[in-house]
Amino acid sequence: MKEKIRFQSPKERRKNIILCLIALALAIAFLFPLYWILCMSFKTDSESFGKIVTYYPHNFTVQPWIDNFKDKDFIASLKNSTCIALLSMCISMVLGVTAAYGMGRYKVPGSKGFMLSFLVTQMLPASLMLTPMYLIFSKLHLLGTYIGPALAIASGSVPFIVVTLRPYFKNVPTALDDAARIDGCNVLQSFVRIMIPAIKTGIITVLVISFLNGWNDLAYSMTFNVKPEMRPLTANIYRFQNKYGTRWNCIMAYGAILVLPVIILFVFLQKYIVSGMTAGAVKE
Amino acid sequence: MKNATRRKLEGYMFILPAFIYILVILGYPLIYNIVLSLRNVNVKTFASGADVFVGLENFKTLFADPTFRKVFKNTLVFTFGCLFFQFTIGFIFALFFSQKFTLAGPIRGLVLVAYMMPMSVTALLGKNMFDVSSGVINDLLMKLHLIQQPVEWLLKGNTAMGAVIFMNCWVGIPFNMLLLTSGLTGISTDIYESAEVDGANKWEKFIYITLPLVRPAIVAVLMLGFIYTFKAFDLQFVMTSGGPLNATDVLGTYAYQLSFTQYEFSKGSAAAIILFCCLFIVGLFYLRMIAKEDD
Repeated sequence: MKEKIRFQSPKERRKNIILCLIALALAIAFLFPLYWILCMSFKTDSESFGKIVTYYPHNFTVQPWIDNFKDKDFIASLKNSTCIALLSMCISMVLGVTAAYGMGRYKVPGSKGFMLSFLVTQMLPASLMLTPMYLIFSKLHLLGTYIGPALAIASGSVPFIVVTLRPYFKNVPTALDDAARIDGCNVLQSFVRIMIPAIKTGIITVLVISFLNGWNDLAYSMTFNVKPEMRPLTANIYRFQNKYGTRWNCIMAYGAILVLPVIILFVFLQKYIVSGMTAGAVKE
Repeated sequence: MKNATRRKLEGYMFILPAFIYILVILGYPLIYNIVLSLRNVNVKTFASGADVFVGLENFKTLFADPTFRKVFKNTLVFTFGCLFFQFTIGFIFALFFSQKFTLAGPIRGLVLVAYMMPMSVTALLGKNMFDVSSGVINDLLMKLHLIQQPVEWLLKGNTAMGAVIFMNCWVGIPFNMLLLTSGLTGISTDIYESAEVDGANKWEKFIYITLPLVRPAIVAVLMLGFIYTFKAFDLQFVMTSGGPLNATDVLGTYAYQLSFTQYEFSKGSAAAIILFCCLFIVGLFYLRMIAKEDD
């Protein structure tokens, strides 16, 4: 894929330019909603709800962003989003990476069954899990905590990690962990010190995706954390919509802040995210 | 021999924590759900513990309910509507970006952002863009003279479904493009070159070479697309709340409503089980395909 493209003849060069222009036009049309969310978030109140739709902020203002960040409830939700995403990422990584290693490196009886159960898990709709989990978590006093949603979200991330990382572990040469064993590492040490660094690309991929799974979650956090103080940004969208009423600029700034980490991660780690999405072909 | 046993034990040590977790967090709720759907648990009976076994009563009530039948139909319309558009456009994107030009890689990457965004924000955006008076969609269509008056997108059943499908495709197109691209890049250029020698034109190359060779990717993307779309929840929940008058309610949101706004836990479970069964049937084909590839 990495080969440099060279265009020799003027005809080829012209074709390249035309294709680039079409691609740019496609990108502009396709990413318009993303521009729109930003554009709206920098408008004044009257401009954002005016009868006349403006395609760029005529009176540019950062007030909607400031309004959000001044709001104590917003800061609390932001904290909740971060905590839930990080906690579910940690749970998913510990369980998922070890299982992927086991599935990739060891031939054990029943491994087909394990794989099947991980794959079936991807098919379970959140709606199916909500009711029983809610009743169970209520008995375990896990409603209104970070643990409830984090545990539930990890149920989507763990199978994803196993499916994505298993081939990576499979492809690490056995000589590598044999050498580690000879040097006196036990199983766990060679797993942590040798195997995980050996598949760094894959690890970054699943880190990012399992973080985003937590960050993007709506159904679980909303259901298990009824109190708004414990809800992440996604689950409090309705609350802020009621609060802001028709102030679309503030609502869109709220949305833009939710999208921001996704864009930042994407800009810096695009290569990893893309390879992860292709390899696993799963997203929960 | 002893060594082999030891290795097996090590293997289990790595696999079992995740497997047990999956069993507890998903297997147990699944069974719990089946049990719930066969009893009459609602807010009254849950507190007093006075619920009884009712057999398939909940399923019968659901299928006799015109609202549920409407919701079921909506789910099918939504799923196949999305699959059709996102697959077709995604395939065109994939074909276009598989040509060699300077910006192919970067722009293809950029388009994927839509796929990674929180669905709830996409829904919020949809709500704003399809707004009657201040929405950008109406404004654009008026400027292009495609409509004379603002359309009440989210206030009428059919147009609301169209708007929801539109927003979902925005997410689905990059997903389809990505998987189909990886199928396309797997085709060696030699095959095309030898076809050219044999005098095949562009169209013939597409029909006789590209399509058969990306078939596995096409089947995979359609089945996965079905699974993700059929169980949709966030989009409808935030964008339309299933309205107007259940016009955009799908099985996912309806099951949630039954359980958590009407507190009819058993009926909610029954609806969720029906949703799962539909996914599972398609899922079985997908699993069989993966199993074949794996060997």
